[in-house]
Parts: sequence; C-alpha cells; structure tokens
Amino acid sequence: MTTLLSDPGVTAPPEVIAPRRRRRLSAGLRVLVGICAVLVAIGAAVPLVAVLATAFAPDALPRYAEFFTSAVDLGILRNTLVLGALVGLFGTALGFLFAFVQTRLDVPGKKILHVIALMPIVSPPFAVATATVVLYGRRGVISNGLFGLEYDIYGLDGLVFVLSLSLFPVAYLGLLGMMRGLDPALEEAAMNMGASRWQIMRRVILPLLAPGLVAPFLLLFVEAIADLANPLVLGGDYTVLASRAYLAVTGEYDTTSAAVYCVILLVPSLAMYFGQRRWLSKKVRTTITGRPSGSIHLITGWSRWPVYGLALLAAAVIVSLYGTVIVGSVTKVFGVDNTLTFEYLEEVLFGVGVEAVLDTLTFAVIATPVAAILGLVIAWLVVRHLRRTAWLLDLGGTLGVAVPGTVLGIGFVLAYRPDRYIGDYLVFPSLVGGSAIAGGAMAIVVAYVVRSVPAGQRTAVGALTQLHPQIEQASTDLGASPMQTFRWVTLPLIRPALLTGLSYSFARSMTSMSTIVLLVTPETKIITSQVLSAASTGRYGVAFAYCTVLTVLVLAAFALIHLIVGGGVALQRTAKSERPKR
Amino acid sequence: MTVAAPAEAAALDPAGRREPSTGRLQLEALTKRFTGRAGVVTAVESVTLDVMPGEFITLLGPSGCGKTTTLRMVAGFEDATSGRILLDGKAIDNMPPQRRPMAMVFQSYALFPHMTVAENISYGLRLQRRTRADIAESMRMAVTSMNLVGLENRSPHELSGGQQQRVALARALVVQPKVLLFDEPLSNLDAKLRDAMRAEIRRIQKMFGITSIYVTHDQDEAMSMSDRIVVMNKGKVEQAATPGEIYARPASVFVADFIGRANFVETVPEGVADGRAMVTVLGRRLSVPAHPTVASGSMDAYLMVRPETVTLSPVTDGGTGMGVVLRSTFHGPSIDYEVETAGGTITVTESGKDSREALVEGTNVDVTIAPDRAYLLNRE
Repeated sequence: MTTLLSDPGVTAPPEVIAPRRRRRLSAGLRVLVGICAVLVAIGAAVPLVAVLATAFAPDALPRYAEFFTSAVDLGILRNTLVLGALVGLFGTALGFLFAFVQTRLDVPGKKILHVIALMPIVSPPFAVATATVVLYGRRGVISNGLFGLEYDIYGLDGLVFVLSLSLFPVAYLGLLGMMRGLDPALEEAAMNMGASRWQIMRRVILPLLAPGLVAPFLLLFVEAIADLANPLVLGGDYTVLASRAYLAVTGEYDTTSAAVYCVILLVPSLAMYFGQRRWLSKKVRTTITGRPSGSIHLITGWSRWPVYGLALLAAAVIVSLYGTVIVGSVTKVFGVDNTLTFEYLEEVLFGVGVEAVLDTLTFAVIATPVAAILGLVIAWLVVRHLRRTAWLLDLGGTLGVAVPGTVLGIGFVLAYRPDRYIGDYLVFPSLVGGSAIAGGAMAIVVAYVVRSVPAGQRTAVGALTQLHPQIEQASTDLGASPMQTFRWVTLPLIRPALLTGLSYSFARSMTSMSTIVLLVTPETKIITSQVLSAASTGRYGVAFAYCTVLTVLVLAAFALIHLIVGGGVALQRTAKSERPKR
Repeated sequence: MTVAAPAEAAALDPAGRREPSTGRLQLEALTKRFTGRAGVVTAVESVTLDVMPGEFITLLGPSGCGKTTTLRMVAGFEDATSGRILLDGKAIDNMPPQRRPMAMVFQSYALFPHMTVAENISYGLRLQRRTRADIAESMRMAVTSMNLVGLENRSPHELSGGQQQRVALARALVVQPKVLLFDEPLSNLDAKLRDAMRAEIRRIQKMFGITSIYVTHDQDEAMSMSDRIVVMNKGKVEQAATPGEIYARPASVFVADFIGRANFVETVPEGVADGRAMVTVLGRRLSVPAHPTVASGSMDAYLMVRPETVTLSPVTDGGTGMGVVLRSTFHGPSIDYEVETAGGTITVTESGKDSREALVEGTNVDVTIAPDRAYLLNRE
C-alpha cells in the first residue's frame, strides 16, 4: 500500500484542540520514578526477558510439545498447582486465625503468640522441613516416639504442612494491619442493628477483609509453587516445576529445558497476579478517614476459647519445630544421641562458618533498607501519583514475587553471566559466576532487594488504600509538596507498613534460597546454601546450628528495627471490659 | 512559600481585621468531564462565577449537582477539562494545589491522627518555615479565637465532633489563605452545634475578610451564612444571587422549589411589562412581579407563592369562601395549613398565633395572596 506523505487534497485541516491540561509530576517525583524504574529493570525485567528469550528460541519450541504430551511432565504441572492452592488456603486460614486472635479476642498471652507467629519467617523453610522429618516423620520423635505412628511425611501432605507453617506469617502480618485499620464504627453499627458476633464476622468483617484475604492467598500460592528447598528435601516422589527446573540447570546443564519449565511455571504465577489485581481494583475499601469514631470491642464470651485453643495448638507445633532446630544444634544427634555439645555452634561462629555468616549479614543489611524504602515508594507512587503508568511500576515491583525465585535465579544466570561488550568496550561486567565482579556479591544483593520489595510494597499499598486521600490532600492544601506530605503525613501513618517492610525484607534476604543458590560463588558464601550442603551431606547438627544463628540474627534485627522505626500509632480507642479512663 | 507573603501578614491591622483587597476568584466556563464505564459524564458544565474579595459564596444544590467537583477544581485536586480559574486576575490552572494560597476544611475534617491539636494547627506554618516565635503567636491567636485553649496537647480522637471541626478550621485559618474552601464541614454535627458553628465560621470569616467558598446541600446553612448563593443543578448554575434575591425572585422552578417552600399556581399572564404581569388567581386579578422570560399569553407560567405570604380569613357569613382547610399542623412558632382551593391544594403558614387560635379543619376560608411577594415563573 502506498502512503502519500503530503497530499493537501486529503489532509483535513488540523483540528483546533485545546492543549490537554495535565499537570506534570514535580521534579522530585520524576527522579523517584526514574530510580524505581531502573532498579526494577535491572533486578527483575532484564532477567525475565533473558529467560523468555531462551525459552522461545527456535531450538526450545519442540520442548513444549514434549511437555504437553508427556504424562510425567503433566503430572509435575498438576502437582505444582495442587500444592499452591492447598498452601494458599491453609496458610491464609492460619494467618487469619492468628490475626483474629490478636485483634479481636480478649485472651492472655497475645504478645507471645505474635512472636511465635513471626518465627517461621526468620528461618529458612529448609530448617522447618528437616525439623519436621525429625519430629513427625516415619521415625519421628513425636509421631513415632510419642504416638507410635509410622507416618510417611514425604510428599504432598508433608509439603503442605511445612509450607503452610513456613509461609503463613505473610498472611498474618497483612491481615493484622488490615484488621487494625478497620473502622470500628462499622462493627458498632452492625452490633447496634442487632447482629451477633458471628454475623458481624460473616457479614461485615470478612467482606471488608476480602481483598485482604485474596492478596495473601495469591502470595502464598506463588511462593509455594516457587519454593525449591522443601520439594528437594521433603518432596519424595512429588516433583514440582521449580525443583524440576533446578535439576535441569544444575544436574543436566540444560538451560533450554530449564527455561521451558520456567515459562510453564510463570504462567500460573502471573495469572494469579493479574487475577488478583483485577479483583482488587473492583473492591477498594477506604476506612481510615481522619475522623476517628468508635471503639474496638474485644470478644469476651465463651466462644473465644475454642478459637484461642486452635491458635495455641498451631503455636505449639511451631514451637516444637523451632525447639528441635535449637536443641538439635546443641546435641550430637537429636532423638538418638542427646548428649550436649557446642561443636556445631563453634564451627559456625568461630570456624569455617563465620565467613558465610558475615557475608550473608552484610548483603542483607545493604539490601534491607533499599528494598523496604523502594517498596514503600513504589506503592505510594502507584496509589497516589501515577495514573496511566501506575500498573507498569506496580507490576515491575511485584515481579520479585510473581516470578518464582528459581526462574529469577536462572534469569540472572542467563542475563548477567557473560560480560557485555559493545564493540571492544565492556559496558556491563559479569555479575554472576566465577569471574563476576565482587565475587557475585552485586548480583546477590540485587536479588535480595528484588525478592524483598514486593512484601513491603503490598503492605504499603494496603495501608495506603485504607488511608483516606483527604488526609493527604489536607496537607497538600496547607502548602506541603508531595514529598513533604509523604514525609510528614503519609509515612507516620503507614509506619506499621514500613516496619513490616523492613522486618520482612531483612528476614527474607537472610533466608532467601531459591534464587541465591544459583548465584553463590566460591568467594561469596551464603548461610542458606551452607545449610543445604550441610544437610545434604547428612550433617544435621551443623545445619541446625546455622539455622539457630540465623534465627538469632534475624530476631536481633527485628528488635533493632522496632527500636529505630517505632511501633504503630493509636488511631482509635480500644474498649475493654473496664470503662475508659476519660 | 506562596501561601501567605509577609506583606499580607502585615496587612492585618491591630484588631485582626484584614482589608479584603485580595482574593478575587474568577471561574470562567469551568467544565469537568469524567470518562467512566457508562461513557462521558459531565459533572460540571461551563460554570462562570466572579467572587469578590472577602465575599462568602455558597455552592448549593442536591447531591451530584457538581458543587464539590467545582470546589475541588478550585483547590487544585481535580484538573478542569476546559475553562479557567483566576485568582486576583492570574490564571492558576497549572498551579499544583500546594502552591495555591487556599485552605480547605474537609467534610471528614481530615485531621492528622498522629499529631496533637497544636501540631495539626501549626502544620501549615511549619511548612512555611516561620520562626518559632511567629508560629507561637499565630497559634495563640488561632487557639484563642477558636476556643481551643487547653486542648493543644490532645489527639484528634480525644476531641468531640465540634472540637475537631474547630481544629480543622483553625488549621486552615492560620496559614492566612486568600481563599477558604469548605466542603460540607458541618454535615457531621448535631443541629445545635451546627447553628453555633455557622455563626462562628461567619464571624471568623468576616473578621479576617477571607474570600470563602462553601459547599453545602443544606439551604438553611446557605441562607444564613452567605453573601451570595450559587444554586447548582446537574452541573450547571441555575442562579447566583443574594439569599434575599434567590428567595424572592428565584430564576427557575427548580430554585424556587429547592430553597424554602413554595406553592405553584398555574396561570396565564397578560400584559407583561416592566417586569410585572397581570394574572388571575382564585378569581382575583393581581399585578405580580414576573421573571424576564415570561411572555404574555404563555401557557407555561407558574405563579410562585410562598406559604407565609398568604393570609386566611374564616368566612363568617355562612358562605363557602374560596377554600376549605384540609389539615392544620401546629409547629410552635407557626401553624401550617393545607387549603383546598379551585387552583389546587396550597400550603399556608401563619406565625405568631396560639394553638388555640388555629383554624379548625373543615373551616371555610377566604384566601389573600400578597401580590408583591409572589413571583411569576416559566415552567422548565
């Protein structure tokens, strides 16, 4: 077809349109958007593109036909999806249970329950898996020793058990923030109209929390199908896509197959993400209005005890698992030879392990504030300032979790292993592998950041959508620039989200495994990969010792973060059985 | 900072009364369209308005009439689709909200929940980097004039609704804005408090001489506070005039109906001239003021008659009179009657009478309309 570039006979006179009036973002905001975009591109977009490029290269295409005709491969796909759904369900339920007890029941020991509920995020899932085998496996100290059962924990049941317990804190923290943010007047209104506790729960609280329940389900689903450590240790015959892709890279050196498995794993992950996004956009609730009203009424009737009991049971299981980790680190062979010994801890703290501990700590300390602040800033830009490009930045920031860690790790290997030249000039040095700059430390820190951003971002998005825009508008209206409003009004009000973001980023970095295991080099030792090698050579005592040290470090960091950032702000009164003082 | 230049601060005379020389706000053909799922919705259509310095203007209308959207465009929270906003002759359309010398009092108050009363009020001043002494002095004035003494260290959630409202107002006032914006600020208060706050807001506004735009759907509020009322309906301005003018000479049936109560009697006008017309109502020929658009012989005219401009007198000679009292309701200061006449049922209000003096239902009455207080209007 021919196009006439200038044809005065055809060209209509240009329509006179008033210039579209859109105030541009202030300079500060534009710089922020730029920084976020670059970090997201390096950490997530480029590796993802590298995976896709390999997976859709001509020589990879026959692999898809093989995959979808092979009963074994299809079984792996089904295994993956079933695992994700079950973990999402159980994990969210468990998170809700703990959040409900925390915010709505008048029961003792809530502080301790809170700490117990956070324990799983401070240690690699790998430790829980090992402890589970020791306690509840075929020769388990509890299942066999206490109840005389010979239960085969390997497989789907064991994976769901371990992953639900390991991952539920995400759901718990998110729901906790949300339930604290609910306007108590809504509940009071329902109570006032004669609704029973149960009816309020079903008709008021749950629908209000619905978006909040979908988000952790999604998160747990994606995390579960992305998990690598547990299927390797506890999967038995139950193979999932992540472990299959990992084996393809490390065992078969077949990056093409690995990329194909990655793409197939990406589909459900990303589908979940978009499904949830669509759903959330339809049901946004705003509850903190700046006009405080009502008081929270804690449940004081008998009905609190069964719920409390359930939470206590779950807490007991968690405690038993972590108890095993700690006791296992100071006994010769826990359950067989219970002699006290400090040789494992010594090895970790003063022997060959100290290097890994220091490296991991350094990388995590660098990555944590970057990840938490990046997550918060992305959330704020997305919710409040960007319009048409918001979804893009939001998507970019979420890639670190929407894309399974194994896929991201393989992406890093594909994208950053070779040095990149234009002509003879080195434009982008190798970040991964033996010849990488700083022994691969750069890549590991970037991976930590990218993997940790989404948690902070999600919490912050949740907190921001609950913060009435009028509060920020009031600040703007009084002469505050967007940055000043963020610093003096938004940030203090969503401080719990920052706290969550920082804590979670640090814990996630310290315990990250699926991405990192592909990035470590002889020069950079990481605790989690040390645990993997110790456990796979049967040195459980050393593995437990690493886990204990790691847990202590993370807990110490939590205390430090809490000290620096401070707790949340009391936005409403809490009414208990006694009369309020004023 | 642009919120208040030092020169203006100096313009405050010792009595705290500012000469309202700045703060003229002009809206020129301001239009706002939203593109929603149901297509393009015009929320505000070509609103033109000239607000004089120190004037108190109320945007009044039913919900969804575009009054809040107009206010938010003035504040800078919404971009206008077309049209201009000028402050003291300068276009401010491209100015972000934080640089507009305006302050808003929100319906939800939007107090910062993590700050004390003092911190809330001084927020704008601190942003302007005023000196500590300056802030303290402004704070003292604001706290005293808004009756908030002793509450400075409370948190917003420890205050009553009225106190929260006063903090919100104080917070807006201390930055000495050229224009104060109110978004239904009293809708969350009870009636007594609302009355007190009305007087309070008006007193403060007059004292500082700040141009004010006040959004409400409460006609009582609008009547009692405003220099001028802008009645809006479906995104358009129906009428902009003083409360007295709006009440006595409504520009449309919508305005007449929305403001106060009104009877509409169908009638055919004759001899329209000089803003008056001859009508025949209930068998009497009356010369009444007429809206400029009313034409002789029009079949679309209504005579608006306010209930309190009608007098009833019982028929004592045993005749039938012009109407019959259907219902009588005692309100305290006044008595309402519904009277059936040949021209339909009309509402009549009589004030200053004892309940024992009320006309009994079924009484035959003569009806007298005060012609100068009636108004002839065209149907929409």
